Amino acid sequence: MGRHVVGRVSDVPPGDRRIVTAEGRSIGVFNVHGQFYALRNSCPHQAAPLCLGSIKGMTMPGKPGEYIWAREGEILRCPWHGWEFDITTGRSIFNPHKMRVKAYDVTVENTPDDDESVETFDVSIEDGWIILHV
Amino acid sequence: MVSTDPVLTTTTEHRAGIIDCDVHPMPAHLDEIRAYLPMPWRDRFGGGGRGFFGNPSHGARLDSTPPGGGPAGSDPDFLRKQLIDEFGIAYAILMPRAFCNVHPDPDMGNAIAAAYNDWLADTWLSRHNPDGVFKGSITINIHDPAAAAREIDRWAGHPHMVQVMTDSGARAPFGQRQYHPIYETCERHNLPLAIHPGTDGMGINVQPSPGYPTHYIEWHTCLSLGFQAHLVSLLTEGIFERFPGMRVSLVEGGVSWLPALMWRLDAEWKALRVEVPWLKQAPSAYLRDHVRLSSQPLENPDNATHLLQILEMMDAAHVLMFASDYPHWDFDSPTHAFPKLPPDLHRRIFSDTAREWYQLPAAPEV
Repeated sequence: MGRHVVGRVSDVPPGDRRIVTAEGRSIGVFNVHGQFYALRNSCPHQAAPLCLGSIKGMTMPGKPGEYIWAREGEILRCPWHGWEFDITTGRSIFNPHKMRVKAYDVTVENTPDDDESVETFDVSIEDGWIILHV
Repeated sequence: MVSTDPVLTTTTEHRAGIIDCDVHPMPAHLDEIRAYLPMPWRDRFGGGGRGFFGNPSHGARLDSTPPGGGPAGSDPDFLRKQLIDEFGIAYAILMPRAFCNVHPDPDMGNAIAAAYNDWLADTWLSRHNPDGVFKGSITINIHDPAAAAREIDRWAGHPHMVQVMTDSGARAPFGQRQYHPIYETCERHNLPLAIHPGTDGMGINVQPSPGYPTHYIEWHTCLSLGFQAHLVSLLTEGIFERFPGMRVSLVEGGVSWLPALMWRLDAEWKALRVEVPWLKQAPSAYLRDHVRLSSQPLENPDNATHLLQILEMMDAAHVLMFASDYPHWDFDSPTHAFPKLPPDLHRRIFSDTAREWYQLPAAPEV
């Protein structure tokens, strides 16, 4: 498993994202309410650049005629066909069990170097380093 | 007058690839269209299509916005990069979206159709088309058939105009006799008529479902209803007997409904042939000579085998042509929209059928 420095925490503020290439793969790294997540930048449907999609909330399942808007900032909508994915898990909204995009671990560490102990810090440490594990 | 500019030549280099039968060029600004509109239409033209039934997320691929600004599909260089070069497209059949058929005033609809044709010819089909990759469609106002016929006459013979096009939105099924001047003209110039979704239920057009649906998902799913009604009308009214050279391209109208509809229609014909005695054969038998469907939006059942079976049922090797609908949101990728196809069928759908239909220059093998 490779360890890839994405940047400083302050480089990717909440609600933002950064597209990186790691081990030949295009991967999107997202800051969702201060927590970092990473998804493969290729939609499992038709290989669109998924991570360029809009970051939204979603209408939650409810009764007919009821609109419950929730999970603001946690849902990635494919830039082509609009399929919704949960950024925190990579699972699709319409079929989370069968349709999903590869998710990767992301940690926030106090050093970009590999030979330090992999001690993770709370994301409130604004000068921490975002490390993507592929 | 059709321009005879020397850049309007067609080269055949690098032309063995895919033919994309539904690509949407957009003006960067409506003023580009207004420049071709005489007064009083120049002042009155506001663009626009349906005003509602918009995709709740996005109507065009979010990554298709040109880096230099402007709407999706408005930058020929970026379209070349993202579609033509990315997928090895040999020819892109351009379908401008004039929405001229919504207007109650036929003179206004005719003026808008003519302006879009002038704009397309001066831009995408000439100065942005040194290699001839772009082929155009002649926009007509379907509600004024005599004027539409004159507009077709104005462009027939242009080296890059390969068909006539209308929205599917209509006030009557397209087989009816008021449209005959259009078909006579298409036949005379050997130009197919493409029907493309749009303006159904908008402006003066009727909605091809029982009333207006509530949601975009309903409206968009049911776009194929108008196509089915138009096709049944064209077949049963004997358009292909009256105009034996007439050809129709059903673009973006859906695919997998065709076998079931033709089974139904052929069954009806066995009992009701007496009503339409001009049909010399079962209605479905006219398809191979007179009708093509473009593939996008391709239905994709969970079991890909089912789709392959439908392709066989519908004679896809002869009637189906690939389309991407770039840059719209439901773009079908040439490399991902279809399940794995037998090589011969792939070649028919992605290249040969459209090459024959639009009589595009044969290409060297790559």
